[in-house]
Amino acid sequence: MVADPPVVTAAGPVLRAEGLTVTRGRRVLLEGVELELRRGEVLAVLGPNGVGKSTLLAVLGGLREPAGGRVVRTGRVAAALQAPALARRSVQANVEAALAWWGVPRAARPVRARAALERLHAGHLADRAAQALSGGDARRVHLARALALDADALLLDEPFAGLDAPTRAELLTDAASALRDGDRATLLVLHDRAEAWALADRLLVLLDGGVRALGPPAEVLERPPSIAVAEFLGFSGRLDEPGGTVRCLRPAHVVADPEGPLAGIVRRRVPEEDGVLCEVDLDHGRVQLRVPHPGPAEGATVRLRIDGGVRFAREC
Amino acid sequence: MEFLVQMIGQAVDRIVHGDPTLLATTWRTLWLAFLSTAIALLLGAPLGLLLGEGRTRARRGAVVLANAGLGLPPVVLGVYLALLLLPGSPLGGLRWTYTLPALVLAQTLLAFPLVVALVAAAVRTLPDGLLEQSRAFGASRARQAGLALREARIGVLTAVIAALGSAVAEVGAVVIVGGNVRGQTNTLASTVLLDLSAADPVGATADVLILLVVVLVLGGILTVVQQRGASSDRRALRRRAT
Repeated sequence: MVADPPVVTAAGPVLRAEGLTVTRGRRVLLEGVELELRRGEVLAVLGPNGVGKSTLLAVLGGLREPAGGRVVRTGRVAAALQAPALARRSVQANVEAALAWWGVPRAARPVRARAALERLHAGHLADRAAQALSGGDARRVHLARALALDADALLLDEPFAGLDAPTRAELLTDAASALRDGDRATLLVLHDRAEAWALADRLLVLLDGGVRALGPPAEVLERPPSIAVAEFLGFSGRLDEPGGTVRCLRPAHVVADPEGPLAGIVRRRVPEEDGVLCEVDLDHGRVQLRVPHPGPAEGATVRLRIDGGVRFAREC
Repeated sequence: MEFLVQMIGQAVDRIVHGDPTLLATTWRTLWLAFLSTAIALLLGAPLGLLLGEGRTRARRGAVVLANAGLGLPPVVLGVYLALLLLPGSPLGGLRWTYTLPALVLAQTLLAFPLVVALVAAAVRTLPDGLLEQSRAFGASRARQAGLALREARIGVLTAVIAALGSAVAEVGAVVIVGGNVRGQTNTLASTVLLDLSAADPVGATADVLILLVVVLVLGGILTVVQQRGASSDRRALRRRAT
């Protein structure tokens, strides 16, 4: 008996995880993962190293069996793994090979491969040997061949990993527009919050073995649901407040102000390109703030005011 | 020294004038080597792929066995195979004792671990994630195998040539399993024994000269293939560096 082909509707999710348990060897990495990937959206998955992001992607892409729960796919899913892993042949031949694996008829492959390379501004690399590409170009080609498949859902594992800042910024800009083409559902495993800001419609945070936040990036990044999520998302300052609450602060929420109500001692300072990141001990906590060069010396007393942040109940 | 030169001259003369017995032996030797290598490749390459791709303990154990098989003295295999082929033994019903099929079986068994070990080693050198990535883009098992063999082609060809070379030069198992029957189961290498015991050093020299040519040709092909692969990699690296 031949199963009917999956019916993909515009409204329904292309991919859904239900109570997924993800393991590596005997170690349980993630439990009870529930997520939906909808047509036309870009979902970014963030989490610390080793939390199981790539393993989750492999399970969602059908490369690994889940230890529990199930993955429901109502369309074809392609996964671009972290290493570009290009074969020893020309760039064009690599993209055409991916199209062949995907089941695209031979006659249609050259045009489709070329179009995908052009879309990511990699057309000039078509005749180059893949093993001669720089890291940035290899990633660009890797992304182009993933997009060439025109999958219903595309899963990308750290597509910008290991690139220098200018190359990363350039590829990020090109990817941001290429990922918006068509109504494909895209899931990105990312390492960097800035990349999530640039690309994602929704953000999913994996922490401590499960999904700890899910929502639009602005909502999750500005109003994280827990202290742990806040700390992971860059709320590096923490103040204990009266009434048993904790205020989590990003450096941008702390302002050096000679008239400020708080006084603290500079514990550490890290010079950066556009200023100095200072870590300041206060009576009821520790905060970080950025000040212009040259900034206060270690051990100096500074006055501050707090301008924002997120409050949590202490046990949250 | 003069005797040696004269003997080589006579051997070359015998080869050039197409001694029919010598030609038949050469043909039989090459036929046996190519057939047994082809069968070993057909059976061993998929297993080598599987072992090279896997990271489990069982697969690593199997690779250790295959590597150990590289050092298996042909004479040991010859003795046990000959015993298994004797009437009344498990393979006795085949009636293969002192026949060419027995030689094909022996040489295939000798080439098999060679092919498995070398293909597995070649597949392990593939870029990380290459095969998994092809699977993630929908490649079938057959396409993944094709990709692996293509990418590891230098290693696979090394396995083929090593298997051919060892089959052509094999003596111990050939004599024990095939009986070294002149005109029926003798090969170039085993004929050297026959010729020497028949006091025909010119014949033995002719056999040796042809063997040397075959081995040199195989070695030459391997060198060309490896150098081509290496120089294409160097060119790619130079382009990347610029």
